[in-house]
Amino acid sequence: MKEIFLCIVLTFIFSKSYSQGNCQWFLSKKDTLKYRACILITKNQHRYYQFDTRYHKLMNKATEICPYYAYPYRELAASYVKSGNFLKWKELIDKAVKYEPETYLSVRASLRYKFFADYKGTIKDIDSLKRITSQDIGYTSNGTYHLNIVKGLCLKALGKTDEAIQIIEKQSKIDKDFSMFNYLHLGVLYMQKKQHNKALLSFEEQVKINNVADNQYYIGLCYKNLNNTKKAVHHFREALKLYQSGLKMFDGYNELFDQIYLMDINREIELIEEIK
Amino acid sequence: MKHTFTLVFITSCFLISCIFHRDKPKVIDSIEFDESVDNIDFELCQEKLYQYFNDSKGLSFKGDKPALKKAFFGQYVNKNMIGESGLIRIRFIVNCLGQSDRFRLIGMNSDYEKKIFNSKISDQLLKITKNLNGWGIMKIDGKPVDYYQYLIFVIQDGNLINILP
Repeated sequence: MKEIFLCIVLTFIFSKSYSQGNCQWFLSKKDTLKYRACILITKNQHRYYQFDTRYHKLMNKATEICPYYAYPYRELAASYVKSGNFLKWKELIDKAVKYEPETYLSVRASLRYKFFADYKGTIKDIDSLKRITSQDIGYTSNGTYHLNIVKGLCLKALGKTDEAIQIIEKQSKIDKDFSMFNYLHLGVLYMQKKQHNKALLSFEEQVKINNVADNQYYIGLCYKNLNNTKKAVHHFREALKLYQSGLKMFDGYNELFDQIYLMDINREIELIEEIK
Repeated sequence: MKHTFTLVFITSCFLISCIFHRDKPKVIDSIEFDESVDNIDFELCQEKLYQYFNDSKGLSFKGDKPALKKAFFGQYVNKNMIGESGLIRIRFIVNCLGQSDRFRLIGMNSDYEKKIFNSKISDQLLKITKNLNGWGIMKIDGKPVDYYQYLIFVIQDGNLINILP
């Protein structure tokens, strides 16, 4: 229940933080071009779906009024990232970053690893953001991870396991961090280093935060590697139960790091049954 | 009198059709029928097309992502071509019966610049994608609908490294 409430609050916070904000702010700064573009968007944005050409026409009009206003470029880019059009997306999101790097570097970083497996580019964006901001670099645009965790995951994807462990360990110790699967990812990294007992401790931490099928699956794998078949089977069955009830890692757009599937759980159960 | 009625009727129909046509929402990155490459027998159930994520269930394929990966990694023959690196996106439509067609391909290099990959790479991927059988039928409000799906292939020196989303 607590997690659901947190998710609702976070969704609200993130949706607000990336909206175009209060147009009066631009007027108070005497930026009438940005004010006019902002008003145009505010009055009409709700009328169209993001993929609708009329939505794009509206945003393009806003960029004509104020060519250095980052928000409409980001909005134009959003539908292209969702259709996997890396060429158009990059062209547009680069403009948003150019005019408002502190806001949109995190957005570009959040999307380039997730939609296009661009791990080096993501790390570059996160490091650039760190250089220009004095505040915490914050979370991905959908709120799933702190950007330090994303950096760790990208390092893992690039084969830099030790560096990945270091950064995820450090970020996970921060009390206020509310990333969803830190300890699961950390546990999988320990498993890669054959540190199964350390991995189990990490998965136990994950259970306290978000007990998903994937976590139970990895606990089962740890016990399997430690030759404890009885406990392994128990956790694989627990994973199956959670998976079937929908408590699993999931993202509506992409596959997540370390995400598992029903066939993974069934394969492990069948393998153990065969040995018996 | 009869002629006047016919004229009024035809004019009304024309105006209504104009209004309907004007108001028909168009979407970006849409895939229109191209008789030179598309299957003429491939039918859509309705005018409106959804995106693969619109039912909030993610990618829908029989056997999930592992089955999809198995199909590609099992059939794609790595080419070891230095410099043939980047992403290839194949986007297509899955209709309300789970059939697919209207395949369109784009490519980029590691700098997000347009790239045309060697046909030994792109033709293979296109062929495997066209032969895939197992796309899920998307339902919106309980009714089967047509939707856009895409696959992105990560290519490193002609070798298939990863498949997204």
